[in-house]
Amino acid sequence: MGLASDVRLLRRGRDWRGRATVPRSAEPWAPRRESRQFPTAWARTPLARAARVVALDGVLRTLAWSQTRPEVYGTDLLSDVRGPVVFVSNHSSHLDTPLILGSLPPYLRRWTAVGAAADYFFDARWRAIGTALIFNAFPVERHGQDRGGRRGPEGGAAPSRSGRSGRGAVRRGGGTSLDTASALVVDGWNLLLFPEATRSQDGWMRRFRLGTAQLCCQHGIGAVPIAVRGSYAAMPRGRNWPRSGRPTVVVRYGRPLYPGPGESMRDFSARLERAVVRLWAEQDVGWWESMRGSASDDVPAAASANKQSANKQVAAARGPDAASWRRIWEASRPLPPAQRRRRIWPR
Amino acid sequence: MSRPGLVLEVDERTPPVLVHEGEGFRLERFPLGTRVVYPPDPLPGIRDVEAAIRDALLNPLGSEPLPELLYPGMRLTIVFDDLSIPLPPMQAPDIRQRIIEQVLEMAAAKGIDDVELIAANSLHRRMTAAEIKHIVGERVFASFWPERLRNHDAEDPDDMMLLGRTKHGEHVEINRRAAESDLLVYVNVNLVAMSGGSKSVAVGLASYRSLRHHHNVDTLRHSRSFNDPEHSAMHHSYDRMHELLIKHVRVFTIETTMNNETFPAQFSFLNKREWEWSLRDQGAFLAAKGANELAPAKVRRRIWQGVRAPYRPTGVHAGATTEVHPHTLANIHRQQLTEVHGQSDVLLFGLPYICPYNVNSVMNPILVFSLGLGYYFNMYRGAPLVREGGVLIMYHPMPVEFHPVHHPSYIDFYEEVLAQTTDQATIESKFEEQYATDPWYIHLYRSSHAYHGVHPFYMWYWGAHAMEHLGDVICVGANRRAAARLGMRAASTLADALEMASDTVGHSPSISYLHSPPLTLADVR
Repeated sequence: MGLASDVRLLRRGRDWRGRATVPRSAEPWAPRRESRQFPTAWARTPLARAARVVALDGVLRTLAWSQTRPEVYGTDLLSDVRGPVVFVSNHSSHLDTPLILGSLPPYLRRWTAVGAAADYFFDARWRAIGTALIFNAFPVERHGQDRGGRRGPEGGAAPSRSGRSGRGAVRRGGGTSLDTASALVVDGWNLLLFPEATRSQDGWMRRFRLGTAQLCCQHGIGAVPIAVRGSYAAMPRGRNWPRSGRPTVVVRYGRPLYPGPGESMRDFSARLERAVVRLWAEQDVGWWESMRGSASDDVPAAASANKQSANKQVAAARGPDAASWRRIWEASRPLPPAQRRRRIWPR
Repeated sequence: MSRPGLVLEVDERTPPVLVHEGEGFRLERFPLGTRVVYPPDPLPGIRDVEAAIRDALLNPLGSEPLPELLYPGMRLTIVFDDLSIPLPPMQAPDIRQRIIEQVLEMAAAKGIDDVELIAANSLHRRMTAAEIKHIVGERVFASFWPERLRNHDAEDPDDMMLLGRTKHGEHVEINRRAAESDLLVYVNVNLVAMSGGSKSVAVGLASYRSLRHHHNVDTLRHSRSFNDPEHSAMHHSYDRMHELLIKHVRVFTIETTMNNETFPAQFSFLNKREWEWSLRDQGAFLAAKGANELAPAKVRRRIWQGVRAPYRPTGVHAGATTEVHPHTLANIHRQQLTEVHGQSDVLLFGLPYICPYNVNSVMNPILVFSLGLGYYFNMYRGAPLVREGGVLIMYHPMPVEFHPVHHPSYIDFYEEVLAQTTDQATIESKFEEQYATDPWYIHLYRSSHAYHGVHPFYMWYWGAHAMEHLGDVICVGANRRAAARLGMRAASTLADALEMASDTVGHSPSISYLHSPPLTLADVR
């Protein structure tokens, strides 16, 4: 082997200063640095709130409503809502937040803070300032979040590249985020949270994490289920502007749910998830059918049929059990514009 | 505190890894996922070595202080390890010199006249005066050479003494002067877990009659590994012999351990992990490799054999052998042990230019075999790094070269014995006795600087466990004829070797590379 090939071999994987990257398995162990949260209290000062009215109500909402065709249902159910509550929605697009905030009655919208991924929206100072100002956002840690959409054996996120499991990370990372969220609730702010923790990879719903339910149970506050349909088809991951042609998007609010006495956060989370699933299904099968599907199992005669129907709803929200491309294909099918009234009673 | 050992998993970030191949080295890109087993970083050496030696002699383990064992008119014999350890030989002053000088200071203070120094070279070649001088130092050499400082002669019937037989019927025959001494002080250097302890006197001063009880195929097949004394049949035999011999002679053992600073400053890149190479290290690598390849063979050998290791002592312990040796083993494990999880299908290692039997000499094919399938294969504790039926791939050019003075019996072993069979049991039963008792080899062993006639057999038995365990052995870059003679296969490149290995372990085997030297003892769990 000549000198030239030795040099070539030696240069492999080294930079111009001759330094090599440390192989992953040789990286020294280091204690995890406590992340410093980006301060967002300034975004809730009167001045920032005034600026937000212009930015959100004036600009962003106008833009969203001009680029898409939003259909909003169930806002009448919010008339009795007096905060603080947590708005809980499925999440598949960056459109979701402006659509939800834009469709909320102003008295709720102005008092709503949005939980946003700390590693995405708060990684650069300019983005953090913009997000906090426009959406009244606060950072939510989601260490170990599985962005690849894979699921671990127990339904938690598969280990991330950093080697931390999603579930454990939520518990750890949830500590500081929950503290912030708790403080906001105590101050009387409504929260908008996405318990799936990230935008769906393929437009279909993923399992809810427990942080939102924990917050509700801890403070005894209600949660308003919301289902957003069509936002994935309008502006999926990777796009930063909606598709042309004003695609239809649907925002559907449900009746607020409150944790029952002695109800565990796991049970409440499941109930919340079922409520969102029902709202999701309402788009396809109508209100009555969706209600039948998610009726309580307490009615013995109907229990078996209801269970089957509920399972069908969950399966429908999770998407077809098929190849990845087929799931994306189905999810990206544009919603038909609502022209005719849906039947409440089946034929 | 130095960094512990590391098992690296080769990923796309991993730079090419250094591999030794005889009197040379190369960078090799291993398949992704290959495990590379690195030793711990060098331990810090003892700051005040003289004080540590003095402390060990005055506060020994399981024995009275050395000065209390010395008295005028006694027969004192100081025995020391020969040049086969440490490897490469260490920079002067050798640790043995520093210990012997302190022992002699104490003996002189007690007015002892009858002092003799013997090199425990067993059936190894007699060391030259210069080699002995390097070990014991100029002052000791000038005072004792040649009458009272000498090599052990295992074939001198007048100088050997049979002490008896163990309960297993093993003959214990050692050097007469040592056996008849009032005190035997053994000065040891421990580089691997195999050495020291009961082995020192029972092997270093023994005869063929005694050695054949543990240096045989059956014992070596049941020594798994011989670097794990607890599970080594060979060491069990040493222990039985030691038990018997300490009934006849008082032994005061002084054991030392070294850190793993194996190569001097100009080759310091050989001691480092590749992704930590500085620009200077990379320059040194290119310069050393280029010069090495351009140099004529004789010059190259002289340069390599001239390497002196900057080892620094990590421990000095003295006293009763059985009390001292556990401390020594603990120090060796601290420096060499790397925990590895599970075995792999293929084991890789690069063989360096030196083994215990070619210091200032030539590494012949039989020594390559012994270094690879003996020493390196057995650098494990628990279980071999490679699974049973797996493949061993090693790097060495394996030239058919022999040192005619040092290894005369090796030449005949290679030409006569290996030409007929490589089966160890057959070789042992058919040829060993003949070579061990051949008058010409005995004459060369006693009067020249030749290894004993039986020595190549021991080298062959050294690989007995590996040959029984492995499915195939492939040597990258080896002389094809030599490899075939040894029962191996030669490959031009690693890719070829893996292709050849696929017959045995399939096309996507798990691979482990033992990054050594510096020496690494894999603790396989």
